[in-house]
Amino acid sequence: MKKIWYVLWVRNRTAVTLVGFLILWQLAVTVFRIQEVFLPSPISALMHLFFRQPDASYLWIKNISATLFEILIGFAVTIFLGIFIAIIVSWSQMSRKFFIPLFIFINSLPIVAIAPIILLWLGYGLYTNVLIAFLVSFFPMVMNTTTGLNSVDEDLLDLVRYHGAKKWQILVKIRFPNSLTYIFSGLKICSTLIVVGVIVGEFVASDKGLGYIIVNSQFTLDTPAIFAALILIAIIGLGLFGLVSFLEKLLMPWQKAANG
Amino acid sequence: MKTKLIALAALLLVLFSVSLSAEGSGEQEIEKVSLILNWRPVGDHAPYFVALKKGWYAEEALEVDIQIGKGSGFAVQSVDTGKADFGIADTAVSVTGRAKGASVRVVSALFAKSPNCVHVWKDSGITHPRDLVGKTVGVPAADTQKVMFPAFAAIIGIDPDQVKFVNIDPAAKTAALATRKVDAIFDLYTGRPLHEQAIPADQLVSLLWADYGFQAYSNSIITTDKMIEENPDLIKRFIRASLRGWEWTLQNPEEAIKILGEYHTINQTVLLENLRYVMDFFRSDDYEKNGLGHIDPEAMAATVGLVDKYMGVAVTFSVDEMYTNDFLPKPKINLPDF
Repeated sequence: MKKIWYVLWVRNRTAVTLVGFLILWQLAVTVFRIQEVFLPSPISALMHLFFRQPDASYLWIKNISATLFEILIGFAVTIFLGIFIAIIVSWSQMSRKFFIPLFIFINSLPIVAIAPIILLWLGYGLYTNVLIAFLVSFFPMVMNTTTGLNSVDEDLLDLVRYHGAKKWQILVKIRFPNSLTYIFSGLKICSTLIVVGVIVGEFVASDKGLGYIIVNSQFTLDTPAIFAALILIAIIGLGLFGLVSFLEKLLMPWQKAANG
Repeated sequence: MKTKLIALAALLLVLFSVSLSAEGSGEQEIEKVSLILNWRPVGDHAPYFVALKKGWYAEEALEVDIQIGKGSGFAVQSVDTGKADFGIADTAVSVTGRAKGASVRVVSALFAKSPNCVHVWKDSGITHPRDLVGKTVGVPAADTQKVMFPAFAAIIGIDPDQVKFVNIDPAAKTAALATRKVDAIFDLYTGRPLHEQAIPADQLVSLLWADYGFQAYSNSIITTDKMIEENPDLIKRFIRASLRGWEWTLQNPEEAIKILGEYHTINQTVLLENLRYVMDFFRSDDYEKNGLGHIDPEAMAATVGLVDKYMGVAVTFSVDEMYTNDFLPKPKINLPDF
């Protein structure tokens, strides 16, 4: 019997920690009688999520799908553009010297400062949010992939070059497969940044999405709704990260042992 | 299947009758226009959604796209650059914009007096804005109330430098006052219901600047000189439908907020309170006499004068260039009883 509990704990440490945290939070709010405006209880937040509230309709489904759609499009754009840019960057010493400082420059710009300007160019909505998400997350993607593409055994390259391999053949057959580990570690960082980027975009201006709910609720001090939205955002972030990890295991089964 | 067929037939019938009526009356083609709000959806935005929902824009052959705003400054920029045809913006900000080269002009007044306000705890000992001397006020640095305070200080006879300002985020105003991190906050009077969420209503005292002699227009509807030149008829139709929205909203605030709730995720209880406070700013002798939306030249001159003196830009144009009453509906829309 004792063994079963032990196994449960070992297998579900994450879940147990999470539930424990929620219970503590609920207790703290009840015991110290914290006003809901300052910190709602998790139960109240979940009630806002699952039950219709008398004074506001949150249209969770519509807003979740809006944010999720933006995140997925943003993720797809970042993956494809990120890898594409990385290939260009790693193509030659010249392009590296040209592009890397430029990317460092772009990446150092505080996104909250540029977001309103993007808004002025593109208006609010899908394009703006995807662009912001891309700007927030492309850097780790590009840098990781570039490192991966370049970290190939020089002797191996010499060998295939001796056999007359062309530059694109080396890219497709050697450099790219070799960089998968790096790409996936880039994707993992990217997956959480994308979520942040999309929400920042929705914060700046939006007419739907979870960020939209948060800002609207902030305005009316509807704190439970804010926490409900935050919980959903965290779940989406976790889900995206999980999806990347799953794909990694699927595409690179040999990595499983190394990652634990 | 049968119900689907019936629904389809009904739809076709409606479409047919709509097209027929359009032909019958020799109606103009539907024109697309956009309106940018000054902020995220709040109570005083309900009238435009009412006009949309009730089909009053459609009656004027307008297809209106109502866009979420991000401050009056953004609305002025958007209208000036043609991203939106009409905008809701604080009049002082519009005047500042025009002084800096934006070709925007006020075509209808909304709030007839300024909702600028000081909110304090009842036990703070502050009973008159004069008492702010030596106290701490929480307000965002770029807030128009912060910028305009020297003007108000001159009116009530205090030295503005003797008030200590703390720069806070707009969303943090309530929390700053509720936790007594500051002695007072500057926020529009219409924001009161939001603060009442954290501070008991009988403990929260709101001192309205307008009650102490401060005269300035607040929110109004703006468009560009280009639009005025090219499509005066469209402006007339847009203003007529929008003011009908206001007329109805003033009489039916509950339903108006419900309609707003159909378009946006809002807290209906709080925003209904908010709208009721907004309605106070429509009780005006000028509206009583000249109809909803009428711009009083004297009040406009006062607003332009304030900007010239305190907003750090030189106003080089005459007051007449800043507004026009030409597009208000004829016959006028009377201020309803509410």
